[in-house]
Amino acid sequence: MKPIALLPPLLALVLSPLMLGIINRAKALFAGRQGQPLLQAYYDLWKLLHKGAVYSRTTTWVFRAGPIVGLAAVLTAVALTPLGGVPALTAFPGDLLLFACLLGLMRFFTVIGALDTGSAFEGMGASREVQFSALAEPALLLALAAIARPVGSYSLSDMFSAQWAGNWTQLGPTLALVATALLVVLLAENARLPVDDPNTHLELTMIHEVMVLDHGGPDLACIFYAAALKLWVLGALLVGAFVPLGETNAWLNLTLAVGGQFVLAVVVGLVESTMARLRLSIVPQLLVGAGALAAVALLLVLR
Amino acid sequence: MNADLILILVVLTNLKLLASSRLGACIRTAAAQGMLLGLLPLLVHPHTAPARVVGLALGSAALKGVVFPWLLFRALREAEVTREVEPYVGYVTSILAGILALAASFWLGGRLALSTLAASPLLAPTALFSILAGLFLIVGRKRAVNQVLGFLVLENGIYTFGVGVIAGIPFLVELGVLLDAFVAVFVMGIAVYHINREFDHIDADRLDRLKG
Amino acid sequence: MKHEALLWLVILVPMATGGLAAVLPSPRKVLGTLCAGVGVTAGLGWLVAGQVFVSGPVSAGWEWLYLDALSAYNLAVMLLIYGLSSVYAWIYFGAELRSGHLTLKQTRLFAALWCEALAAMTLVFVSNNLGIMWVGIEATTLLTGFLICVHVSRESLEAMWKYILICSVGVAFAFMGTLLIGAATRGLRLSASEVLLWTRLQPHAALLDPALIKAAFIFLLVGYGTKAGLAPMHNWLPDAHSQAPAPVSAIFSGFMLNTALYCVMRYVPIVETATGHTGWGLRLLIGFGLFSILVAAAFILFQHDLKRLLAYHSVEHLGIITLGVGLGGLGTFAALFHTLNHSLCKTLAFFAAGRLGQMFGSHDMGKLAGAMRVSPVWGAGILGSVLALIGVAPFALFMSELQILKAAVDSRAIAALVLFLFGAGVVFVGALGHAIPLAWGKAETAVKPIRASMLETLLVVIPLVLLLALGLWMPGPLQTALNEAANVIRHTGPAPAGPLVGGLP
Repeated sequence: MKPIALLPPLLALVLSPLMLGIINRAKALFAGRQGQPLLQAYYDLWKLLHKGAVYSRTTTWVFRAGPIVGLAAVLTAVALTPLGGVPALTAFPGDLLLFACLLGLMRFFTVIGALDTGSAFEGMGASREVQFSALAEPALLLALAAIARPVGSYSLSDMFSAQWAGNWTQLGPTLALVATALLVVLLAENARLPVDDPNTHLELTMIHEVMVLDHGGPDLACIFYAAALKLWVLGALLVGAFVPLGETNAWLNLTLAVGGQFVLAVVVGLVESTMARLRLSIVPQLLVGAGALAAVALLLVLR
Repeated sequence: MNADLILILVVLTNLKLLASSRLGACIRTAAAQGMLLGLLPLLVHPHTAPARVVGLALGSAALKGVVFPWLLFRALREAEVTREVEPYVGYVTSILAGILALAASFWLGGRLALSTLAASPLLAPTALFSILAGLFLIVGRKRAVNQVLGFLVLENGIYTFGVGVIAGIPFLVELGVLLDAFVAVFVMGIAVYHINREFDHIDADRLDRLKG
Repeated sequence: MKHEALLWLVILVPMATGGLAAVLPSPRKVLGTLCAGVGVTAGLGWLVAGQVFVSGPVSAGWEWLYLDALSAYNLAVMLLIYGLSSVYAWIYFGAELRSGHLTLKQTRLFAALWCEALAAMTLVFVSNNLGIMWVGIEATTLLTGFLICVHVSRESLEAMWKYILICSVGVAFAFMGTLLIGAATRGLRLSASEVLLWTRLQPHAALLDPALIKAAFIFLLVGYGTKAGLAPMHNWLPDAHSQAPAPVSAIFSGFMLNTALYCVMRYVPIVETATGHTGWGLRLLIGFGLFSILVAAAFILFQHDLKRLLAYHSVEHLGIITLGVGLGGLGTFAALFHTLNHSLCKTLAFFAAGRLGQMFGSHDMGKLAGAMRVSPVWGAGILGSVLALIGVAPFALFMSELQILKAAVDSRAIAALVLFLFGAGVVFVGALGHAIPLAWGKAETAVKPIRASMLETLLVVIPLVLLLALGLWMPGPLQTALNEAANVIRHTGPAPAGPLVGGLP
């Protein structure tokens, strides 16, 4: 195995908390503030790992398993994700379905961990989370299918290989539609505005925050790190769809892809700064709209 | 800039019309669609007599992009409404129905065997989709202005079909289409004005005194 | 040379009259100009129609204007109806002016729209270009829309909105069908200005693409059928007819519905030839016709409003005409004959309904009881016309319906026969149940008897006498005219004869 093949997962493991830092810094600069240091997420992880955890007597093993299974699932997904034209650690036909299912597994364990606490508050967050992801998942799958069809392969590594990534000349309008759909899915899955405010502490408006309210210490560190990895992984898909790569220099492609991830983080920060949180009854319309765009892209490549 | 891109944008404007509840945004979306379709003859017939094609393009873009919205906004101002009332079919269902209609249009467009005539394989499906979307708006919306917009979208679909598929249609008939749309919107605008004056609302579903 | 000029004049004279009537200072003058203009147009139209029956089709304007037996016959009938209705409008609006219900502005609007609508309908008949024919139908929709709400009220606005919206959608579908016909001509290699000319398409119809023709015919039938009031696209009809003033209802039923059906008839020979004479198009026509008859029969049973009742009768009779065209052979002849009979009868019925409504103050049949006592002339008019409408012998409608039944037996269409008889039977019972109390029932409130003027008596007597006469005896010239017109639809008979005068080769 060439050394370059190890780079996508390594970069994911190391750089994903930096994404959160970039988003927060972008939001702060947009608001005219100085903002947190870029490496704040690393400091938070370190702090959390050195804390103790408190478990309620009403919880069972499900509550303790939730964060761990979630982290394991997203780490497996990292092993499936290509970056900058470099194939993933493992690739086989159909791995895009496994990818979507792994994200679903992570979500499932977060949700049942939340329900396990027996608190109505977390149950509310769980039900909202499930409703929104029920609408976002078809959008994700349709978008990936729209790329898979012209490429002719159902493996993520083939779909985002150096030849096909950002292939605007051949795929043109389809890519624009797919990129838009993937952006909305990314915002929804990672609990970003306009779907969910990561900084809110008001009961009525929480979705993801409320599900992890009772976790502390190392468990919270697992959740936090898993969320950063999820952002990186979905971002890698979006960057793979959007950024055109040359076929010559693999290192250049990788640098472009990592740069693309950082630009994406800035874009997410911009979106969060300019848009307000949508009313909860409007969010399904947004997600179905993204699904519709992905469906249009799929219909365009199917004819 | 080619015909395919314009047609995809037209499909997106149709979906936006199905999804939006603000009447002002709907009127502007319909105007944008009209202007996009005004550009279509220039891209579909690059080798026909330029003066006639350019004239048609400018004329229809001006009519649909400027005059129709002006007439409709006037009617809205009189009636003082900004939003659609709770429609018969909800917005999420409308978008889903729109996607189904798009899939059906692609299937039907392929069956019509016009590919040798049409400049782009997307043309017949886009035209059929506009027709279906227009019908959906007429049937599924309650505000009279939305029904007028549905009629405009229907006419746009037929216009798309005409421009793309019939290379040799006489100029006079093309003018006839534009004139028809203009007079129709004009007449409907006057009608909406009268309805609002008499009834104090423009909800077509509340016009139900004549039954049986 | 003279006859080409007539073709142009027949369109231009009503347009000019409408413009003139819109600026005259007094309502009497407006209505008088209207009658004069329509009379002149009628004279010119009958002249050129007679010419067509004597020496073959007339053409003008580089073949964009063309009158053959089918369009000449329809034109003649339309001008007759328009003439009678204009005289009636004089009487009806005269009464309204006297009682102060009508203003000068409304009269001018009415006169202008009335004349322009006549011009548009004439354009439909004299046009050879199928696209211009469509433009004429669209123009009639938009012009007559505002004729419905001459008197602005909640109900009339509602009726106008439904009418404009539904008919505009229908006419848009008809345009789609016209475009598909244009697309189907690619095998013929016609020049751009000829691609929609009927006289170019009809002789070479076998070369047209059958799949496109079928798709086109479906759009055309649904589109023009909406305008003609075929079920299930007829929903605008009862509202529009009941809310419009009586002269306008007379025009709607008397001729506008037939104009739309004429457009369908124009396409029938093309479709039949292009699909290889399998009768595909004819079966569609039979289906729509029977459906209209049955739907109308169902709704006639529980009507309260006289004009709505008459509107549903229109749906039924248009269904009968469509059924006749679909059956072919004798059915085509009978359908065209039925056009004349139905138009005469329905016009008289609306005349009577309008005047009775003015005398009684309402169109509700409960309040209109005992019409014979109040006005013998108009009471006889309404009774006679309703009896004729439901097919009582020896009125002419009975004869044409009998001919259609015979055509059904000839072509072994037994299901159609049974359904038609069932529908007609239901209509007979239902309408008779409404008509008898209308004529001789006991009125709820006593109304003073009103004497009818000589003009009104003539307006009632002439159509009734014509209907009786035609039922008993078919004049030779009428039979020839009907045969020639039917031949155009059945596309038997000689191709358009000789060098067309005034047109390019």
